[in-house]
Amino acid sequence: MATTTTETTGVKASGWQEFWAKEDWWAVWLGLGIVALAYIFYLSGSSISWIAVAPGKWSTLSQLGTQFSKNGIKYLALLAAFLVLFSIVITFIGQKAKEFIPSFIFIFVLSTIIYVIGAWDQANKYNLEPPLVALLLGLIISNVIGLPRWLDAGFRVEFYIKLGIVLLGATLPFTLIIWAGSVAILQASIVSLVTFFVIFLTARKLGLDHRLAAVLGAGGAVCGVSASIAVAGAVRAKKEHPPIAISLVVLWAIVLIFLLPLVCRALGLPTGVAGAWIGTSEFADAAGLAAAQSYGNLAGHHLGIAGTADQALASYTLIKVIGRDIWIGIWSFVLALISVTLWERNETNSKVQVGQIWWRFPKFVIGFLIASILTTLIVHGNSLADYTKLVKPSLILPITSLRTWAFTFSFLSIGLTTRFRDLASTGFKPFLAFTFGVVVNVALGYFLSVVVFGHYWSAIVTH
Amino acid sequence: MKIFNFIQSGKSEAMCGLCAHFQNDPAIIESTYAGLTIMSSGFASVRDQDGLCDHNQIYLSARDSCPHFTAHAGEY
Repeated sequence: MATTTTETTGVKASGWQEFWAKEDWWAVWLGLGIVALAYIFYLSGSSISWIAVAPGKWSTLSQLGTQFSKNGIKYLALLAAFLVLFSIVITFIGQKAKEFIPSFIFIFVLSTIIYVIGAWDQANKYNLEPPLVALLLGLIISNVIGLPRWLDAGFRVEFYIKLGIVLLGATLPFTLIIWAGSVAILQASIVSLVTFFVIFLTARKLGLDHRLAAVLGAGGAVCGVSASIAVAGAVRAKKEHPPIAISLVVLWAIVLIFLLPLVCRALGLPTGVAGAWIGTSEFADAAGLAAAQSYGNLAGHHLGIAGTADQALASYTLIKVIGRDIWIGIWSFVLALISVTLWERNETNSKVQVGQIWWRFPKFVIGFLIASILTTLIVHGNSLADYTKLVKPSLILPITSLRTWAFTFSFLSIGLTTRFRDLASTGFKPFLAFTFGVVVNVALGYFLSVVVFGHYWSAIVTH
Repeated sequence: MKIFNFIQSGKSEAMCGLCAHFQNDPAIIESTYAGLTIMSSGFASVRDQDGLCDHNQIYLSARDSCPHFTAHAGEY
């Protein structure tokens, strides 16, 4: 584990400061700001599509060259816009913009290359799925070539993925969230509870500390590293507990990013069903989105996979965000209460505050829901012909393009920040408990997503 | 019910966030916990204002408290 000599600074963010000190809120401000701007342009008969540029399909290098000579200025404008907006965020949360800027330019250039590879008309033939290419490229650069540490300033996996999810909300009808939300919560709750107790009880059986067992259980059952760190704070975990959970979550999350799409493909699952399974069984939002997007991209090609790319993302997001992420505050509160009443009465004299259900709530979900409501209201009243001809190209597709950029930044950042030699060693017992939970989670997730609710997830309707 | 005795409604006077032993700067938490930024963040809402206590060697909420409280010059 890294050590630090920095002087103790105490609590900084509190109350209203949360609104500009947390990445979650910045994802909300930027995401909704982009949606509002897109709508203003749409109302004035224009579109943000000029700056929301993305490579089109190409088959020869000369075609690609023509695209870039025509749109080069748009890419520069997009880079400048991202740099300005993200530098504001970085400055407000207390990081150094001068370190972020060169790092982000590096991320943007690599993301453009990945986007271009994904747009090649032979990409599917060679399994060059952009999320997986981004992850692999990042892993190779960080673990084989190596990068200076200061470049990490731009590798903000969580911020990019939260911004992308808010923008994803703008492309999902709110009626879908209402229609499928209850099933998502039911399915995710069953899997979360079973997975938590499998890991927790196995860890206890192996003689591990209550709090470590809870931190591991939350990581496998709720939302990966974020759940582990939230529950660690709630139950007053020992200083060495979170790194063990971080290592295990990262290890299994990366394995599942590659494994789940492969198995889905072997089984020929419809994209909506595969998205639900990935949402049930992956731990971290970014890791799961990489898997869901890469599988969704296979739809409609020669492989005979039914559904659309949007269905994979929609069912994944419903299960993961609505079914699992939003309950982290309640998990933390309940485990904190158990901790002070049963596990460690003597170590602190503190009590549990109900407020943590809100304090720990992943606020970017608010942006996701508002974005969905806004676009649903905007789209409402348009005929299908108007939607296809006007609304989709002017409003929805540019937002989708910006969303894909944000996701690509995130997938690439996962690889670039994963330095396997830096991860804490876990010990055999935590590894065994967590791995047992992963196996049960994946099997139960398959049963619920495919056998029990398969008809439901294969039929979900996006825009 | 007895369980309600363990639920706190207001602010404590001697909470960890005001203690000299407590450290919750997100950047420092990120550098202390290598790997945290791979799939989460020191600046995430779920982390609230949690931090490390260098006296008890635990990771806990800024709103916690313990008998070893030592007033910090910073503000909460």
